[in-house]
Amino acid sequence: MQIIIFLLMALGFVLGIVVLVALAFSLAALAHALLPVAKVPFRYTLRNLQVRWKTTLVTAVAFTVVVGLLTFMLAFVNGMNQLTEGSGQPGNVVILSDGATDEAFSNLPGGISVPMFPKDVQTMVRRDGDKFWAVKEVYVIVNQEIANAGEGQRKRRFVQMRGIDDPELAARIHAIELAEGKWFSGRRHEVVLGDGVARTFGKDLGKDHAQPGDRIKIGPRDWEVVGIMKPSASAFGSEVWAQDTQVGKSFGRDNSYSSYVVRVKDPKLAADAAALIKKERSSQAFAAMTELEYYAKLAQTSQQFLYAIILVAIVMAVGGILGVMNTMFAAISNRTKDIGVLRILGYSRWQILMSFLLESLLIGLLGGLLGCALGYLTDGISTSSVVSSGQGGGKSVVLNLVVDTTILAAGMGVAWIMGAVGGLFPSLSAMRLKPLESLR
Amino acid sequence: MPSLLEDLQNNPLAQATLVLSALPLLALLAWAIWQPKLFLLALKNLRRNSLRTALTCLATLVLVLMATLILTVVVTLDRFTTEKARDFKLVVTERWQLPSQMPLTHAHYLDPSSPSFMLDRSEIGPNDFMTWSFYGGTLDPGKMTRENIVFFFVMNPKHIIPMMDDMQDLDPALIAKLEKNRQGCLLGRERLEAINKRVGERIKVTSMNYKGIDLELEIVGELPRGRYNTTGIMNESYFNQELERYARTKGKHPLDSKRLNLVWLRVRDRATFEKVAQQIETASVFADRPVKCETASSGIATWLEPFQSLLWGMKWVLVPAILASMALVVANAIAISVRERRAEMAVMKVLGYRPRQILCLVLGESLLVGGGSGFLAAFLAWFTINAVGGLPFPMLWFQYFMIPTQALFWGLAMGFVTAFLGSALPAWTARSVKVSEVFAKVA
Repeated sequence: MQIIIFLLMALGFVLGIVVLVALAFSLAALAHALLPVAKVPFRYTLRNLQVRWKTTLVTAVAFTVVVGLLTFMLAFVNGMNQLTEGSGQPGNVVILSDGATDEAFSNLPGGISVPMFPKDVQTMVRRDGDKFWAVKEVYVIVNQEIANAGEGQRKRRFVQMRGIDDPELAARIHAIELAEGKWFSGRRHEVVLGDGVARTFGKDLGKDHAQPGDRIKIGPRDWEVVGIMKPSASAFGSEVWAQDTQVGKSFGRDNSYSSYVVRVKDPKLAADAAALIKKERSSQAFAAMTELEYYAKLAQTSQQFLYAIILVAIVMAVGGILGVMNTMFAAISNRTKDIGVLRILGYSRWQILMSFLLESLLIGLLGGLLGCALGYLTDGISTSSVVSSGQGGGKSVVLNLVVDTTILAAGMGVAWIMGAVGGLFPSLSAMRLKPLESLR
Repeated sequence: MPSLLEDLQNNPLAQATLVLSALPLLALLAWAIWQPKLFLLALKNLRRNSLRTALTCLATLVLVLMATLILTVVVTLDRFTTEKARDFKLVVTERWQLPSQMPLTHAHYLDPSSPSFMLDRSEIGPNDFMTWSFYGGTLDPGKMTRENIVFFFVMNPKHIIPMMDDMQDLDPALIAKLEKNRQGCLLGRERLEAINKRVGERIKVTSMNYKGIDLELEIVGELPRGRYNTTGIMNESYFNQELERYARTKGKHPLDSKRLNLVWLRVRDRATFEKVAQQIETASVFADRPVKCETASSGIATWLEPFQSLLWGMKWVLVPAILASMALVVANAIAISVRERRAEMAVMKVLGYRPRQILCLVLGESLLVGGGSGFLAAFLAWFTINAVGGLPFPMLWFQYFMIPTQALFWGLAMGFVTAFLGSALPAWTARSVKVSEVFAKVA
């Protein structure tokens, strides 16, 4: 195992050096092309790409596939990151039972309230008159039979349900707004659906998304949909919200909560408040963290996907690089005489190198542009995944793929690197050709 | 992991790739026998531009390697979510909630060795039953990190070998040790390395889920490598004893009546499953804490549901894109090669070679490159990844993925198919070379 890791590290080191050298040469080639110095005419480079357009196109399409795929995969990770970042509010502190790292494994007493915390914390918590900005939440994952599941289709899914003691305050604390309907009254079995889960239930009902007035089955009973949340890049969009007492009764969590979320007056105080709550061990111990920290931990899964994507991208890029090397070596072998003539006309080895490297970079950029355009088409596509801290628990979420300028820049960067590395060795071999020998 | 023979009998991918690799192999063999000169010429041609051949082989090799790793994840998860014809397991869990938490008394009604057993003993034997409780804790409560967390399946040791997947080859001596030493535990290799402990050492675990139930365990052995690398197994009698001690001193633990997480039963077939599931789900003894029955595969499929989009993307976007990349690289290399040898092909035609022979020559060269490097890539993946204990890709409780032997066929098939697709057009161009046109240009 250690030998394999050592070999992989050595290979990575060598590849890293090659990439750095290729990048340096490619930047030099770009500068050389732009600066008013003596050089092989740019038209010559373009003309050669045009003459063997089939090879140029096939190579560029290979780049397109790699860059398009990379853009698509990064858009997925970006969507997950935005979701976890968007779920946490800067001034919120999440309180769980001592030792718990996830809501799913937390058990807080029903009587939890701000006065249980140290005096310093009580003064930090935002309040309207006598009312603290604090909400008790019971979070359950329901293993639900799917209505109208056909033969051969999956029969069950997990539904995440959050029981809230004060929905309007909870909405303010979590920055949730309703797109349709109203908040539940607590008198009947009513629910508000996140936009993502509304689409999921909508499919069961044979429409785009569930609407107020629809009835859905969760656990042992039917619930009436009274509201739909506005689309937001947050994990709450994949949840069903209902009154805490009804969720508790339906799922055996009477008088027990998963989390207690408080909003402090100044977001800068959130970390201090969490530390003070955690430190307090007099009557009952709690785990506490800022909401941003809580959701940042859930980004562990997206980190794992990101590493996997980087690996896939590197391997696919190596394939593309080898493809462009083939193209460029063939171009050089076809144009040995051209190179000889150019050298006799007075062009230096350096200028020949720059000319061929530029040709490879142009193929890379063409493929990169097409790939980014292809990848951009995936922007906004809705999909599902899991966010988790890797220590148990986690949430299934509905998310949108997000292609932003950083991702497009990464795609073009990879295309540039592929063009540079793929063109470097053939260009060096072109540079080393001797004029008379190449004319023979 | 299923054997190659089992895969060839049951797995459609294994069957398809066997056909896709066997047909071109047979065709190449037949070609080598009937037209040895042409076959040798193809080999010589590949040697003639060794740089191009090497670059194309290398590109195919890395891409097949990646596709093999991706397919391994997809196929392994597919295997767990596909119902088995035999070794059919039924999982009993709490009806509505996750995590499933049931009273221990539920197990008594389902345990064939218990007098309260409610099912038919001719359908569920003593070795067809297993219960799991989950216990997680940290070795350093002051600074809990991923490295010092341990997770245990709490169970009766005698059920490990007959009931747990991939445990059939576990040394029975380890089971005997675990039965003898109630505080004994087995840990996976990776967990042992992470907590820096060895077999024979003791650990003190502060619980994360059973607050106040802290355990002192002795590591009596190592779990088989692979899927159990990061977990552990401990004896249920010690766990239950500590919960009872807690009840005597501090009153009932909050999770006392929720300590049973899963019950597993093995049934003969689907019909028996339906019958037993109906008996359990409608039993009055479970009325106050309702339960549900699923097949193991259906349960795993539900857990994997949030990953469906990702797995779909891996299967239907990533793998085809890699194959398309490979086909393009091969197409490029073969097209260049054909363009450079137009005159040579015209000469061959003048010498009496038929167009189909030239077509076969180009296709043969491509198939030799594709098939050879595809097989090499799959072999490398199979040999090295399995030698180091599997491909690390944590997803739910799946930590490592072993490369199945059928992957050797995937490599061959991917190499052959992409080589064929990539070289079909250039080979047709070579076949259609017009002697008069080529010589007119030369003149």
